[in-house]
Amino acid sequence: MKQEVFLGNGAIALGLLEAGCQVVTSYPGTPSSEILPEVIRLVKSENLNTYVEWSTNEKVALDNAFAASVAGKRAACCMKQVGLNVAADSLMSAAYIGTKGALVIISCDDPGPHSSQTEQDTRFMARLAKVPVLDPSTPEEARRMVGFAMDLSEEFRIPVILRPAIRVCHARQGLLYGNLERNEKKGAFEKDPMRWAATPRFRLILHGELNRKLREIAKRFESLSEYNYHTLEPGKRYALGIVAGGVPYAVVRDILKEQNREDIPVLKIATPFPFPEGLALPFMEACDRVLVIEETDTLMEYLLRDREKVLGRLSGHVPQEGELVPQVIDGVLSRTLKELNLEPLKAGEDPDVMDLVNSLNLPVRRPTLCPGCPHRAAFFAIRKSKPKAIFTSDIGCYTLGLNLGAVDTCLDMGAAITMASGFYHAFSQDGVDQPIVATIGDSTFFHSGTAGLVNAVYNGARFILVILDNLTTAMTGMQPTPALGIRADGSQGKAVSLERIVAGCGVDFIEVLDPYDLKKMDEVLKNASEYVHEPEGGIAVVIARHPCLIAYKQDAVPDRKKVVITDECAECNFCIERFECPAIYHDQELGRTNINNQLCTGCGVCLSICPKGAIVEAA
Amino acid sequence: MTTINMVLCGLGGQGILFMTKVLSQAALRKNYPVIGAETHGMAQRGGSVVSHLRLGDVQGSLVQTGAAQVVLALEENESYRNLPFVAQGGDLFVNTSSPHFPREEAKAFLLRHKIHWHGVPASAIALSMGAPLSSNLALLGFFSAFGEDPFSHDDLRAVILETSPDRFREKNLTVFDAAFEKGMEEQRN
Repeated sequence: MKQEVFLGNGAIALGLLEAGCQVVTSYPGTPSSEILPEVIRLVKSENLNTYVEWSTNEKVALDNAFAASVAGKRAACCMKQVGLNVAADSLMSAAYIGTKGALVIISCDDPGPHSSQTEQDTRFMARLAKVPVLDPSTPEEARRMVGFAMDLSEEFRIPVILRPAIRVCHARQGLLYGNLERNEKKGAFEKDPMRWAATPRFRLILHGELNRKLREIAKRFESLSEYNYHTLEPGKRYALGIVAGGVPYAVVRDILKEQNREDIPVLKIATPFPFPEGLALPFMEACDRVLVIEETDTLMEYLLRDREKVLGRLSGHVPQEGELVPQVIDGVLSRTLKELNLEPLKAGEDPDVMDLVNSLNLPVRRPTLCPGCPHRAAFFAIRKSKPKAIFTSDIGCYTLGLNLGAVDTCLDMGAAITMASGFYHAFSQDGVDQPIVATIGDSTFFHSGTAGLVNAVYNGARFILVILDNLTTAMTGMQPTPALGIRADGSQGKAVSLERIVAGCGVDFIEVLDPYDLKKMDEVLKNASEYVHEPEGGIAVVIARHPCLIAYKQDAVPDRKKVVITDECAECNFCIERFECPAIYHDQELGRTNINNQLCTGCGVCLSICPKGAIVEAA
Repeated sequence: MTTINMVLCGLGGQGILFMTKVLSQAALRKNYPVIGAETHGMAQRGGSVVSHLRLGDVQGSLVQTGAAQVVLALEENESYRNLPFVAQGGDLFVNTSSPHFPREEAKAFLLRHKIHWHGVPASAIALSMGAPLSSNLALLGFFSAFGEDPFSHDDLRAVILETSPDRFREKNLTVFDAAFEKGMEEQRN
């Protein structure tokens, strides 16, 4: 046996390979991004034959994994919770059709939210799609559950969702593991058009089949004592019981243990759908009140139908938004115990400490683009060239263009383009010439850009689209994009040209440049703007291409410049506010604007931004 | 065993994940059950970053406020932001060279809760060793002068030796050891 501290996502990867998973597809997104790389690490170290791919988006990933499972293989597909929205079309249909080999969808939730647009609860997507969902409390449990999910999926021929929340994905835990073995099971496709290509008439039959599967699985979950259990003592009555699952269960369990309050019974449910009602009913009967602590929404609270007895979000006992961190759960328990005149918990933190922290006026740390980031150069040029434009943008590091005043909107993957065309038509309807500049990253463009761009071209929208091409998927940890042709496992695939896709979408104005060259960028934006206004014009696409400094390190700045600030500096703070490079700062001791040479990457872009020309290259 | 709770904090890019990795590996080598929580994603681009580490029979990866026996801060303001985590009688190690550490407003709180504070010139030590990006190793080295099993100097040093990439190994150990000596000085005083 080997022992290793695994990231929760690594524990999930380990579970997948222990279960003989043969195909793993994914699109990166926090907090799911590390699952596939961890699979790849183990596949290489253990010499396995699992096929892996970074797919271009989550729907593509799910369709691919689904096909593998239809061929009888064990397949998994990993994404973040909002990625499941993209894959929803595929999920809903796959639930009806069913699988042959195992299909496990791992959709990682982000209560907080720490790095997402929403706090949506994947368990509700599972309920909507009518597929079972498992809710692990710890990395170790997630690892075991993956194997259980595979078996369940294969037995009932149904997709199964594993929903780890961020505190499972990005937890670290020490785990023991043995040798991993190849799964040599060969694929086979049995033609069965009434299933695999079912028309609405057969869909009704499949729906009935799905409902029968769910009823059987709910029964199975009632006796699934490895994951679902309660701490009732036979015949005893309780004033309060707690129903919990997932990460909040782990917290509740720790608090009750720490506080010696294991007299309060807990029902742990790791399979919230289909709900194991036969397990919940005796618990409900033994308790006068039941407090439901679950993340992120109210699935179990809805499913426990007794509104008199059940306390939770709907009754105002649990916060309706935000992460259920230990101190929040501690507060929920304390208030509920007090309200029911039961023995309270021992007070933990000093109640004044938050007032103290707030009184210190600590600097707000907003995330910023890295020193030398090519996006900064592009945004600076865009804002300068088109100050009155609406700046539609998208999901990625470059959402931080907000700080430079060059991002006005961020809706979902691909919406930079679709919102730009939407704005165009909304204003042109009024006869208003509203400048619009859309910015989208290279990976996001591959994910969801083309359909919106084809639509915009076809429907005659006019705007400037800047594709911020840093030759990687930066925010989620430097996954390769199709443009590089490097595949998930590092092998060489076929590179897909961004320029050719853009041209193929019907765009006639395409310029590729390096945004570090602000002068060139300004000139190209001017030409682009003219093109947008020409009678025969349309959408102008500028591909601002420069490698990400985290992914490509020194290679990203081959010509390093030593930068200094001269006495010409008027301390106007233009550079600090409008360029926002972490390497340019106001030095309190010197009382002047200065360059932090440890942070400065020598990109030299700032040399042309100062209105006084006070930022110069050192002699 | 009593649960050991630690919180590590600082800014994105300062190497908090590496510190967490070293500490959790050290715990695992001594067969402590270990679980922890990390910050990934957007906050890594220069925002506040926090890592939690817990040793013992626990399932939750987050430390509750008022429960961390040790807080390691790579930046002074982040140490104040994370004051709510420090337990009564706990230890607070902060990377700072400021003569004004800790701020007066915080001092009363620290004294009231019998919290031992340690201002550690980790960045200065790292810089003087020609490794300006290794403040994290300097802070760990200083802490190791106070650390008990499984976080003694030898425990942590062994993990750094093992986990450092080849080209950084020697430098990492030099910074770590130099800061350990500083820590020992403070221990003796």
